[in-house]
Amino acid sequence: MEAIKSDSLVKVYRGKEAVEALREVSLSINKGELFTLLGPNGAGKTTFLRIISTQLSLTKGEARVFGYDVMTQANEVRKHIAVVPQDVQTYSNFTPWEYCYYFSLLRAMPKRKVEENAEKALKAVELWEMRKRTCATLSGGEKKRAVIASALASDADILMLDEPTSGLDAVARRKVWAVLRELVEQGKTILLTTHIMEEAEMISDRLAIINKGKVIAEGTLGEIKGLAKEKFRVVVEGNSKNAKLLQNNNRVVKFGGKQIIYLKDENEAIELVKIALKKGLKAETAPITLEDVFVKLVGGEEA
Amino acid sequence: MNLKLIKDTLIIAALKSIPDFKRQPLMLFMIGLISSIPLFFLLVFGGQISYGVVGAIVSTISFIGIAAAIQDVTWDRYVKIREMIVAMPVNPISYAVGVALAPLLISAPSLIFFMAIALWLGILPLSSIGWLIASLLLCWAALSGIGFIISTYLQRASVYTLNNLSNILGLGLIFMPPVYYPEELLGGLSWIAMIFPTSNAAGLIRVYSGSLQLPQEIVIVRWLILATLTLASIVVVWRKAKWRET
Repeated sequence: MEAIKSDSLVKVYRGKEAVEALREVSLSINKGELFTLLGPNGAGKTTFLRIISTQLSLTKGEARVFGYDVMTQANEVRKHIAVVPQDVQTYSNFTPWEYCYYFSLLRAMPKRKVEENAEKALKAVELWEMRKRTCATLSGGEKKRAVIASALASDADILMLDEPTSGLDAVARRKVWAVLRELVEQGKTILLTTHIMEEAEMISDRLAIINKGKVIAEGTLGEIKGLAKEKFRVVVEGNSKNAKLLQNNNRVVKFGGKQIIYLKDENEAIELVKIALKKGLKAETAPITLEDVFVKLVGGEEA
Repeated sequence: MNLKLIKDTLIIAALKSIPDFKRQPLMLFMIGLISSIPLFFLLVFGGQISYGVVGAIVSTISFIGIAAAIQDVTWDRYVKIREMIVAMPVNPISYAVGVALAPLLISAPSLIFFMAIALWLGILPLSSIGWLIASLLLCWAALSGIGFIISTYLQRASVYTLNNLSNILGLGLIFMPPVYYPEELLGGLSWIAMIFPTSNAAGLIRVYSGSLQLPQEIVIVRWLILATLTLASIVVVWRKAKWRET
């Protein structure tokens, strides 16, 4: 069953100069999956999320949440969603408990259920022990988790999270990932936007890459990686003269003394590593990453 | 009007005031202290205390009406809390009224304090309390509505611009029209007192306290003007209060 569906969604911001933020975006997000919208800054990820979450009008096309039209049935849509906006900040006088408590009360839940949910959500994001501390005394990651907890406590079927881990350290980020995966296991649907490749790679069931308002790839991680001709990368470090001998006709990306050589075949990659090692270079091979594919697609190169 | 609308209004008013009450109790005195400044000068330089006390009552409610409405809505937009509330099944009217109610609760101790002084000094007779509360509520509703309209129409203005604007408007509406001084000082321009909700409310309170003598029909006209201003701002908020941005 589709939780979110958009058909040829277009958004144009009017102003001195009209900006086409979304261009014919058609996406389907299934119930119970974690779908990631991946794209560079200004790609249109937030615009898409804000339209789906009834915060922003669309210019053309159609978008539905559980079959409800986001433009004409916004109140129905709002009963099913909870949003964590990009760069959300906190009221400094609020405690994590108050975040969960008051925002859940607005969803017309009975008080007992509100308290149960708040406790569950705060435990899930590991803030239960800090529930009575004001946000002014929390770290950036803890503040972010307090807001995420308020979305979790809402018991909404769909969570829409706009770059929820940006600005968090690796440990805090992984804690958030674990919570999100746990929620998906419980049957929730999550729409996540990010520009962190590792995040998209680690937690998505499916993802779409969006660039300049257009979806340029969509599918599972395997399907997206399958768009690239090369399946392996060899990272070579050392004397650039020697390293140059290894390139042949393969695609190469250089960073100072390091270079990444992309190859279609694993045996070819292993062979290249052996040659490099014989030449006294450091070398290792691995399957291509999502970032490799992303850079190639967004950079405008043919996959 | 459905029950959820009222319940959500009260929840928003609570969430915008109770945590602040608990952790920043000094703010309860701030508004009162600011309103007391002109009263202090009237006391020191031998002005009419009654004007100062009525002025302090009106300015307390006016400042929180216009300035708090603009600042709260702007701040919520800045910290993105508004985006979270927009995506909830909450009516924008609940949000607007809740945001306006919260500072009213915060300023309640100051208001009660000034009213008690007015009663104690005999500036206001007990029988006029009903009229006083009615005029203050209309003044608060009109100014909160104007504040909400400003913050709605100036969505792209920075938080600093809107904060400055709200302070200028808040102070301007208290000190320019005759709130702390007799409207007779304006001479032929004393009609100006009627068009500002602040000075109109202050004038009406003075009528009921006996310090301003006006013909009955003028008093009725002043009530009508205050009610019309309030109604107009409520209608605009009602029609224009939309969650979704374009």
